[in-house]
Amino acid sequence: MRGRRAISNWVLLLLALHAIVILAGFFAPYDPAEQDRKSPYLPPMQIHFVDAQRHFHARPFVYPLRLREGAFDQYEENTARHLPLRFFVQGARYQLLGLVPIRMHLFGAENERVYLLGSDSYGRDQLSRFLYGGQVSLFAGLLGAGMTLLLGSSVGAIAGYYGGWRDDLLMRLAELFLALPWLYLLFALRAFLPLAVNPLQAFFLIIAVLGAVGWARPARLVRGVVMSAKERDFVRAARGFGATGGYLLRRHILPQTLSVLFTQVAILVPQFVLAEMTLSFLGLGVPDPVPSWGNLLSSLQQYSVLVSYWWMYLPALIMVPFFLGYLGLGSRLQEQGEPYKIGK
Amino acid sequence: MRYFLRRLVHAVFLLVGVSVLAFVFTVLAPGNYFDEMRLNPQIAPETIDALRTQYEVNRPLPIRYAHWVGSVLRGDMGFSFAYNSPVAPLLLVRARNTLLLTVTAMLLSWGLALPVGIWSAVHQGRMSDRLLSWGTAALMVIPDLALALGFLILAVKSGWFPTGGMVSLHFEDLSFLGRVRDLLLHMALPTAALVLSVLPLLVRHVRAAVSEVLDAPFLLAAEGHGIPPRTLLYRYALPAAANPLISLFGFSIGTLLSGSLLVEVVMSWPGLGPFLLEAILARDLYVVIGGVLLSTFFLVGGNFLADLLLYWADPRIRTETSS
Amino acid sequence: MNAVENDKNVQPLLEVENLVKTYFRRTLTGSRENVRALDGVSFSIFPGSTLAIVGASGSGKSTLAFCLACLEKPTSGAIRFEEREILQFDEKELRGVRRKIQLIFQDPANSFNPRWQVLEILTEPLALQGNLSREEIRLRAHALLEQVGLAAQMDGKLPLELSGGQRQRLAIARALIIEPKMLILDEALSALDCSVQAQIANLLVELQRSRGLTCLFITHDMAMAAHLADEIAVMSKGRIVEQGHPDKILKQPQAGVTRELLAAVPRLDSAPAQEPES
Repeated sequence: MRGRRAISNWVLLLLALHAIVILAGFFAPYDPAEQDRKSPYLPPMQIHFVDAQRHFHARPFVYPLRLREGAFDQYEENTARHLPLRFFVQGARYQLLGLVPIRMHLFGAENERVYLLGSDSYGRDQLSRFLYGGQVSLFAGLLGAGMTLLLGSSVGAIAGYYGGWRDDLLMRLAELFLALPWLYLLFALRAFLPLAVNPLQAFFLIIAVLGAVGWARPARLVRGVVMSAKERDFVRAARGFGATGGYLLRRHILPQTLSVLFTQVAILVPQFVLAEMTLSFLGLGVPDPVPSWGNLLSSLQQYSVLVSYWWMYLPALIMVPFFLGYLGLGSRLQEQGEPYKIGK
Repeated sequence: MRYFLRRLVHAVFLLVGVSVLAFVFTVLAPGNYFDEMRLNPQIAPETIDALRTQYEVNRPLPIRYAHWVGSVLRGDMGFSFAYNSPVAPLLLVRARNTLLLTVTAMLLSWGLALPVGIWSAVHQGRMSDRLLSWGTAALMVIPDLALALGFLILAVKSGWFPTGGMVSLHFEDLSFLGRVRDLLLHMALPTAALVLSVLPLLVRHVRAAVSEVLDAPFLLAAEGHGIPPRTLLYRYALPAAANPLISLFGFSIGTLLSGSLLVEVVMSWPGLGPFLLEAILARDLYVVIGGVLLSTFFLVGGNFLADLLLYWADPRIRTETSS
Repeated sequence: MNAVENDKNVQPLLEVENLVKTYFRRTLTGSRENVRALDGVSFSIFPGSTLAIVGASGSGKSTLAFCLACLEKPTSGAIRFEEREILQFDEKELRGVRRKIQLIFQDPANSFNPRWQVLEILTEPLALQGNLSREEIRLRAHALLEQVGLAAQMDGKLPLELSGGQRQRLAIARALIIEPKMLILDEALSALDCSVQAQIANLLVELQRSRGLTCLFITHDMAMAAHLADEIAVMSKGRIVEQGHPDKILKQPQAGVTRELLAAVPRLDSAPAQEPES
């Protein structure tokens, strides 16, 4: 079916993007915490195939940057030095998938550092920081969305299936949570938790907070599905054969919620990634030196950086394909609806 | 009238519930709040001890809550340590600024989203609709943070717009028209950032709501009676779409309020956002609660307005309540 | 139609006494209103016979069906099945009773999980019972498919691939696979085309004869009821207003409701339908 092929295209795109981020160690040329104080705020190095003498080289190369005469932060290409890019090079040690110690990187150059996205105030490679930062932001988003959906669907299933006072109580609670603007709620929750935490604690803290904030809407959706599924004749029929409540939920009712849940994932993940970015950007999330997409952008809060070092903004744009993937998937899933509905 | 009262009670209930939640957070927060305050050099130890007694740390919860609600209703929202002044006046000024930004953005974004969404629904499937669809998608995938920062860079690089604040330093010296112009210039970029962050979502939902109504059988029947298309749209279709659109309106208030928080901080607009952030970093407890409560008040209030609008717009609700 | 000897020794399979069911309904604005779906219903059914309950929509027929199938709890009254008072049962015992009274629903499209295949649907009741091997289950399933007139190759299909008549056959097969004592048909033929109705009706008669089933047939179609049932009870607004042998009901209807239902039956003779005497 055409619809299904479109969905799998988006899924493939997302998988590819996430694979790059998961394998950040391989795709990133350097360790994200590795500093080079002699090269602060280097602009991105351009990749060339044709050199200053108009010779074509099959192997792409870059020119190292040197300070312009008389300037203290203006750089120009040093066309005298030719720095070819090599692929599958040995570089800094890292752990692939956190397990396998390995030294191979996708690309690099000999002796000199290549800054394809420029460097920050400590001379750290922005490209590497972006890739590793994706691990933090994307997975905070994914895990946060997972937690929210778990919490939300449990609440929704209980409210929808049992009805009565449980339903009333849980839905009133959901209304309360929905009555708060979510970012304010997020900030308030964050505010009342300790400020100074190490990066790992911060990561899990954010996930917990995200999970606690976003459960209300999925809960209402799941409740709706459960309530209507409960009334359907095939569920009644199964009760007629002597099925227990647990069986009904497990085999008949909850599977009906899957399509709603998948659509919610596609909507929530970008929202939560954005939330993590916002928190980290403002200093309430994952702190330095662990990179996250948010704290990667936080130097832009300084006027001098904003004015002079435009490449510090690039991470904001490179994230767009990720959001595009989730958005595309989400739209397709919503359009698909239920493929097995028996028409009247 | 009964409907109005019922929705009012509901709104009040929500506010009370949120206040309870907020209160419970402060009390149950892990990492003793007062201990963290000790680490803050700005707050004197005597203040902390005085606060501990004042906030009756050892009294039972419901009593503390009651006292707190009592003082809030009297207009006393607590004390800000960072600013050394009562919270309420500080918050109200900031709230006014946030409202200015948010309400303008609301009017602009709905003012754009409604015609564009309706037009798009009417011309469904045509090239123009599809282009629009891609356009909104392109806008939607840009993270709000990127949008706000992008606008800031624009301001800085072009010099056409001020890079922060609500008014210029010499605001007082300007003529009335000059003041208006100054305010508008300062407002332009934050409003634009807010509107653009919310617009694609609104356009999509408006389009979806209207096109669902356009597919309805009753509309087809009316068309069969020979009613001209323009009348069909304005007198038949749009009133039927009013219900989901008004719910969308209520939902968009929340989105805009949250969005304004970010935009205000990034673009230095002196609203609740930056104030709240400072308060969090300074562990200024009562400002944080006050800010959250105030923003909730706006959201609940906005939804209450939406409920009233719904009563006016949807005859089904009117007949239900009168029967 | 099976006429059961009114043998003094034969006890009714099902006895219903003064069944009342009220529930609350929420309107759009949140106010509650009280609905009395069943208002003191009493009757009995003898084993092997068919009772038809005839009424217009809203008369409480479906609520009655759900209460008898133990899918809903009545507000008050008594139900005796096999001479045991089932309203006192706990959930576990109720589950056992549910297996003995099977319900067939009106809307064939909704009776099955749309993602499941025919074989899965058919064997679900046996799988729930849990005491037969996979092979035995499959054999029984295929045997039943044959009995209801469905081809064995259909077992891999999805419900949406079946016609309305085929779906109802499947529903009947599924209901019979655990060998219940009683079958309740809640407007089971109403959603089918006329010709298909006749086929399924005859299938039901055949199955009932061969298995000695007791049937409760709920419908608004008086003609169908007369064709299938040993006894007819007419229901209106939650009460039984008239009860008796089909011939008597048809020839000498007492209640106004009965006459309205009779008048609603489409007739193909040249003479116009008799106006009900007011």
